[in-house]
Amino acid sequence: MYKFFASIRKEIQLLFSDKVGLSLLFGMPILLVFVITIVQDSAYKMVNENKISILISNQDKGKESKLLLHQLDSSGLFNITYNNQLNSETFKTELINRKILTGLVIPVDFSKKLKEKAKSVSNGMLSQMGLIEAKKQTKITIPSLKFYHDPILMNNYCQSIEGMFNSYLSIVENKLMLESIYDEVGIEGGVNSLEKELRNDQVKIETIVAIKSETKVNPNSSQHNVPAWTIFAMFFMVTSLGGNISKEKLNGSFMRLKTLPTSFSLMLLSKMLVYLIVAFLQIIVIFSIGVFVFPYINLPQLNLPHSLLPVFVVVLLTGLSAVCYSILVGILAKTQEQANGFGAISIILFAAIGGVWVPTFVMPEYLQMVSKISPLNWCLEGFYTLFLRDGNWVDLLPVITYLVSFICICILIVIIRLKSKKLL
Amino acid sequence: MKIDLDHIEINAVSKIYLNQQIPSLKDFTLKIPSNTKFGILGPNGAGKTTLISIMCGLIEPTYGEVQFVKKDNSIVLGKELKKSIGFVPQEYAFYQELTPVQNLKYFGALYGILKKDLAQRIEDVLEILGLKSVAHKKIHTFSGGMKRRVNLAIGIIHRPSILFLDEPTVGVDVQSKFAIIQLLEKINLDKTTIIYTSHHLSEAQNFCDQIAFIDKGQLVCSDDTQQLLNLHKSSNLEELFLQLTGQQLRD
Repeated sequence: MYKFFASIRKEIQLLFSDKVGLSLLFGMPILLVFVITIVQDSAYKMVNENKISILISNQDKGKESKLLLHQLDSSGLFNITYNNQLNSETFKTELINRKILTGLVIPVDFSKKLKEKAKSVSNGMLSQMGLIEAKKQTKITIPSLKFYHDPILMNNYCQSIEGMFNSYLSIVENKLMLESIYDEVGIEGGVNSLEKELRNDQVKIETIVAIKSETKVNPNSSQHNVPAWTIFAMFFMVTSLGGNISKEKLNGSFMRLKTLPTSFSLMLLSKMLVYLIVAFLQIIVIFSIGVFVFPYINLPQLNLPHSLLPVFVVVLLTGLSAVCYSILVGILAKTQEQANGFGAISIILFAAIGGVWVPTFVMPEYLQMVSKISPLNWCLEGFYTLFLRDGNWVDLLPVITYLVSFICICILIVIIRLKSKKLL
Repeated sequence: MKIDLDHIEINAVSKIYLNQQIPSLKDFTLKIPSNTKFGILGPNGAGKTTLISIMCGLIEPTYGEVQFVKKDNSIVLGKELKKSIGFVPQEYAFYQELTPVQNLKYFGALYGILKKDLAQRIEDVLEILGLKSVAHKKIHTFSGGMKRRVNLAIGIIHRPSILFLDEPTVGVDVQSKFAIIQLLEKINLDKTTIIYTSHHLSEAQNFCDQIAFIDKGQLVCSDDTQQLLNLHKSSNLEELFLQLTGQQLRD
């Protein structure tokens, strides 16, 4: 044990002497968790809480366009700037100059054409029912609304705004249609009460998070980002531990160890233990920030699962996976540059395909298959099972099986390599 | 505790590295008596490092064996052998991010020196090698000569019975070279067998009481330094070496 403790002391001293490595292990993930959570949370707020700035030029004089604008205004989702003097030529320039992200131009005769269309449709419908006499139908083309947007806006964001327009247009169109039908059959004043009734009995959408238990889990940017970037940071120890091992291999320390009355596995075990403690410290530091600091800066608080034992097991397996992978890279690399370069790039790739940056379900099917080889994907899956789905041991079984296999494979390769070099 | 070594026997040792056709050592046989300052001398690429690496157990010979024979004719093996050996490689085989004290504490513990003795031994060795003033400074800030002295300090911290040194004075200043040689003389007086490789023949002539010349992986000759010079009527080892191996340039 004396030699083991000496080895541990040396590893700790080496770790503290590597200031860059330490900042990569602790500073980088803290920064990443803050930045990515703030960015994602702001994006969420931009769509759901912040008003969308919009420039509107209404070329139409009718009441339907006014009703549409009233709907947009009363929705509370838009911050509307009106300028009806702008034509389609000057509108774009004004939008760019005023740095407004979206714009809408309602064309001349929009209301008139909309009315004509409603009249034509209601007439066709009622004549088919034999309630009125059919009139000669003429093809009516409604001039389209023009939606402008800044090129930086993502497609899905634009699509959701278009969806809002369509929903408000439907209200206007439905009202017109009802008015037209009532008008055709000669009933007066019934539209408003019918419309009110229709609105009151609208189908509501209830959102339910699909988890097994009854515990209230609130999926938010913290629940994803805190575990995801902590896993990334844990695996990024490859640059410190992997580089450290390849350096020892090259500077002759390994060689000297071969002449000493000690076992090489003792040295590896001490490295594993020290870096496993580092992994646990990373978790404690970053999760504490998620739990205690995030609420103070208006970010959603990280909610820990009700049972901490499965969390401990997942953290332990994640830490061991990161440590064993780092040792493997360090042992196989021929130079420190190789260990650092390959180690860092491989972790970035594993993170990318493993769902740390974007969820795997948005990836093409073949990439979703490939993601299964990434240890980061399985570690993340373990945390998702606990943090988002409130899963149990049975749900964790595939994760535990994969990670234990991954750790065993890494250790096996390291042993084979060291045996071939006569170091074990 | 030093072992009661009688001699070291190198019996018909050959070494052929993977993907190499010419052996680095060929049928090498040599007997090194205990308590000597033994020089293994030869040009670059002669096979000196290979021989010393085999003797230390760093690499396995392709053929032959090395035996450490005690006075009672028993062979020193395993952990007892490793505890008795000190090795000072050509490379700086330590942690340059740490201080000399931190390195010596680590390697001393691995040699099994108890904590209560280790501190005193570290102080002694740093004092002898003139490193006391920089004992707590990071080694990466040191000069080449200071780093060589740290390398030596680690090799002798456990007071070995046999000390292997591979080119210990390469690239060091005169003062450091002098300090290293002085210390080796002192260690040898304390019944430590010193086996030392070098291509600096004049330094070896002054330091070694016995030498072996090695060239192209083969033993050229081996004997008491002065006797060899007298036998071949040479004034120095450089002259003798050229006389024995010719003036052809080596790769």
